Amino acid sequence: MRARRYLPALRRCKYSPSDRKFISGLKEFIRAVPVNWRLAGVGRHICLKSVRGRAVAPNTARGKNTRLYLLGGVLFLWCFAICFRLVYLQIFCYGEYEQRAEHQHQRSIEVSARRGIIYDRGGHELAMSINVESVFAVPNEIPDLRGTISLISRITHENPHEILARCEASKTFCWVERKADADVAERIRNLNLRGIHFQKESKRFYPKRELAAQVLGYVGMDDDGVSGIEREYNDELKGKPGRMVISVDARKQWFGSVEKQPEPGQNIVLTLDQQIQYIAEKELATAMQQTHAISGTVIVENPHTGEILALANEPTFNPNVSEHLNPKRLVNHAISDVYEPGSTFKTITISAALDEKLTNPNEMVDCQMGSIVVDGVRIHDSEPHGVLTVSQVLAESSDVGAIKLAFRLGNERFYQYIRAFGFGEKTGIELPHETRGLLRPVDRWSRVALASTSMGQGVGISAIQLASLISAIANDGVHIAPHIVISTDSPPPPFQTVAFHPTGERRVISSYTAAEMKQMMEGVVLRGTGKKAVLEGYSSAGKTGTAQKFDREARAYSHTKYVGSFAGFAPVNNPAIVVAVIIDSAVGLHQGGQVAAPVFQRVAQQTLEYLHIPHDVELPASRRMLMAEKHVKERDLDEGSPDHPGEAVDAQDSGQDTVASATPITQGDAESGVLPASLREPELPKQDPVKTAQVNQFPSGSQQSSVLPMPLRGPVALDIEQGGIVVPSFIGKGLRSAIETAEASGLDLDAVGSGVANEQSPPAGTHVPAGSQVTVRFAR
Amino acid sequence: MAKRVSVDTWLFTVTLFLVFIGLVMVFSASAVMAKERYGTGYFFLLRQLMWAVAGLAAMIAAMRIDYRRFKAPAIVFSLLGITTLMLISVFFLDRAHHTHRWIHWGGFSFQPSELAKPALIFFLAYFLESRTKSMDDWRNTLLPAVTPTLLFLGLIVFQPDLGTAIACAAITACILFVAGMEMKYLGYGLLASMLPLYFLIFHVAYRRARILAFLNPYSDPQGKGFHIIQSLIAVSTGGISGTGLMEGKQKLFYLPEPHTDFIFSVICEELGLIGAIALVILFAVFLWRGIRVALHTQDIFGKFLVVGITSMVAVQAFINISVVLGLMPTKGIPLPFISYGGSSLFLTLACVGVLLNISKQAE
Repeated sequence: MRARRYLPALRRCKYSPSDRKFISGLKEFIRAVPVNWRLAGVGRHICLKSVRGRAVAPNTARGKNTRLYLLGGVLFLWCFAICFRLVYLQIFCYGEYEQRAEHQHQRSIEVSARRGIIYDRGGHELAMSINVESVFAVPNEIPDLRGTISLISRITHENPHEILARCEASKTFCWVERKADADVAERIRNLNLRGIHFQKESKRFYPKRELAAQVLGYVGMDDDGVSGIEREYNDELKGKPGRMVISVDARKQWFGSVEKQPEPGQNIVLTLDQQIQYIAEKELATAMQQTHAISGTVIVENPHTGEILALANEPTFNPNVSEHLNPKRLVNHAISDVYEPGSTFKTITISAALDEKLTNPNEMVDCQMGSIVVDGVRIHDSEPHGVLTVSQVLAESSDVGAIKLAFRLGNERFYQYIRAFGFGEKTGIELPHETRGLLRPVDRWSRVALASTSMGQGVGISAIQLASLISAIANDGVHIAPHIVISTDSPPPPFQTVAFHPTGERRVISSYTAAEMKQMMEGVVLRGTGKKAVLEGYSSAGKTGTAQKFDREARAYSHTKYVGSFAGFAPVNNPAIVVAVIIDSAVGLHQGGQVAAPVFQRVAQQTLEYLHIPHDVELPASRRMLMAEKHVKERDLDEGSPDHPGEAVDAQDSGQDTVASATPITQGDAESGVLPASLREPELPKQDPVKTAQVNQFPSGSQQSSVLPMPLRGPVALDIEQGGIVVPSFIGKGLRSAIETAEASGLDLDAVGSGVANEQSPPAGTHVPAGSQVTVRFAR
Repeated sequence: MAKRVSVDTWLFTVTLFLVFIGLVMVFSASAVMAKERYGTGYFFLLRQLMWAVAGLAAMIAAMRIDYRRFKAPAIVFSLLGITTLMLISVFFLDRAHHTHRWIHWGGFSFQPSELAKPALIFFLAYFLESRTKSMDDWRNTLLPAVTPTLLFLGLIVFQPDLGTAIACAAITACILFVAGMEMKYLGYGLLASMLPLYFLIFHVAYRRARILAFLNPYSDPQGKGFHIIQSLIAVSTGGISGTGLMEGKQKLFYLPEPHTDFIFSVICEELGLIGAIALVILFAVFLWRGIRVALHTQDIFGKFLVVGITSMVAVQAFINISVVLGLMPTKGIPLPFISYGGSSLFLTLACVGVLLNISKQAE
């Protein structure tokens, strides 16, 4: 019946008389079919009848032709069916099957973007990505899964049963070996196994190994940051993955690819300086060995900008082998650990009292021979003291003195100062898992709580908060939020020097109070509990702290476990660095002045010299001679250098210059200009100490004529146990000779200018990691 | 009516078109595979071209020979005999892939089962010509008529090549039907074939798998259903206008035999609905002109020859296309003129030559 609809269309076509005959025959057939169907419903019977009927007709051929028409009709119907099917498949099923085909032809492989590099402030790579290959299996394609896996496991030395279990779990995809070494991948490739494929992936590599491990963190197998900067800035570092659209044939051979380029991750520049970081870690490690402490932290901060120059933790880890890490080692103690600060907290008590004009440094306080009763609770000093000045209260770390001052302040005011110094809230440093510390709300403070808080017990802080506190005092009373990231979308080095604009500045105490505090804290080092923090050639100030650890099991303060700490800055009058040291649970000697102060001393000494901070204190005779001798030699070579007219004078006068601050001076003095201009000047290089140093750290022509501090040539082999390479002197060498020397020492030479070397950074004798960059300035 | 002087130009033109399309599509479908297997993308094209030239020559030659000359027992029976011999000999000659389909001679290979189809057509036309009045006499007419067919079917089925066997059976049925055989015998024949078909299909693992795959291709898309799914993907990917010649992707190792049995998939994919329908129309025109020649041929022998040849082309074409479109279970039947395969192309063209000669002499 359906065919009838097509007849008009057929009729419209041109056809010859003979065609007309064919079509009339076709019509007859169409007419015949329903009739026959109606007659009996059984084709056999009808056809028999019709054939027989026709057979007696005069035209026998005509009868046979009916069969021919029938045959033709059936075949044409078939033809129509095919056309309908084609239309159905190619028009109505177009999308459906299209998707299936796309899915099959185009393996969309995600190409992970190259993860951004993490640089230190000098442009040294701290974390970078290298290309490796991963091996995966498509178990469906593997004829002999067991055999294939056993072959591979022989190369990868992995348990074949585990791989087999994985492969049997997923028939279409399973990793066999992630991020394999190049030779392993090559050996597997050479096996030429069916169903085994390779994919390029990038693997995170930390060229400096343990250096700043907790700061950097590490990445998991899928290149996602798990801790540290890698986690905090994962989105920036990761970039946008690209898509490699690979058209694959049934044999999984690709024959063309359309690639959506991945957007590489952003590079991140940290405020850390790898040299200072190295110094801090090395000294912390030494201290850890000596004290057998559980953990330790060293933070070096620029108090003027809040930049963290070094953040070291012990125990540490090598992020390159992150699979087998003990989670305890990953903790960034400086950021995440809360500890009771002990006496370092007295700096708040006393500076608050000074700032509120409730006392002055020379006021006499009766320390009641080290015993005071507060609301029926007797509190003891570790050593009994009689009547002390407020300065001495800080220097001797008298608890009784601090409690008396806190009582003058009262809960509210004292709490305000504590909050103002940044306690009880996160500092906002760009690292994950920061703690806000433990600070009881002021409305729940009893007198005992006030008393214990004044001496740093019953309050919990983090090391970074401690460093911020000391920085605020060192920065003339202005609190600056600490930072560890300079920029997040940096082009590759060399970086342009960008002035660092500190954020979150707020004045906590007046600059006068800050100056008084500096002076008093210097007294701690010179005359009090922090004598081991005395530097050579620099003035230093700080505060020791020793807190009993709270034993959670005994629910009481432990008598065996202490947290010893020291937080200080140097030089005193224009502090270049703040160093906070915390040693947790030292065995044997445990007081902050015993275990932490020496670490401060060593870190601060080396850092200041590395940063070319001018000396402000007379050097001890032995070192002075050593340096003078060295300097005379260099002076010979430096003579005639037009760039440094002052150096000759400077070398000669090195004995008596810049000793103004051997005795402390007040802020007022400094501002009135009593201090040599050079001492007020040494502004810490804001961006890149290496670069700044090479530009010239003594600007301003008026100062050049005056007495200049002795340029540093660095101490010679202070510590034979120091690792790394001792930087040789390049002074006086020609370019070629300097390059040879650098190569022989395993250093990376950055030559500036031409002629004869007249300046170098870091100075000769500094210990640096192998491969470090040494900037040498050449001049004719 | 006066006898025509010239051949049926429709048939001639359509045949040339089909052969040409075949050459193009064989190249398109096989180039990548040929490049991989033989180092040159033209491997299959050149061979097909050679056979096409030979086939066209044979066609023109056959066109010029009066077809009545074939109406001789010497020719018909020797054709049967040669075919039988070759069909038997393949069992001893060729053992490739557990099948016995080819006779290799020199650099060429020949498929005797292809010869079986024309042999049967010629025999049936010759044998039934004088027996149109006694088609009901099953003992003297039908049984002798189907005996060679049954013999060939047996031999071909055990090559094994069920597809060609079914094609032979279909051609025989068509001729017998047009010759006026009673429908009950067709019914008996169908019933009788059920048993062997049942055993042939359901007791041979791969055929049963094919049937099951046809019924539900997605039960095992990577295994039994793979071919039919791949074919459907190819067809539907083509859409209306197709991906363009040489642009198809399914032929790249997804489609089984993209240049032979599944060449229509490639056509659908690359030329789209337009190309596919055009090809179907070409076959339909061939069928129409073939039937028209049959109608106009007074000579019974010629008429049966035409019916046999036309149905051979049409039935094979439609079975092949139906398989590709998922309308029928998979069989190994080539698409006449189009699929790669020398024996098939050559013999089909030669048969078309005979058809053209008959058309020349139609009323």
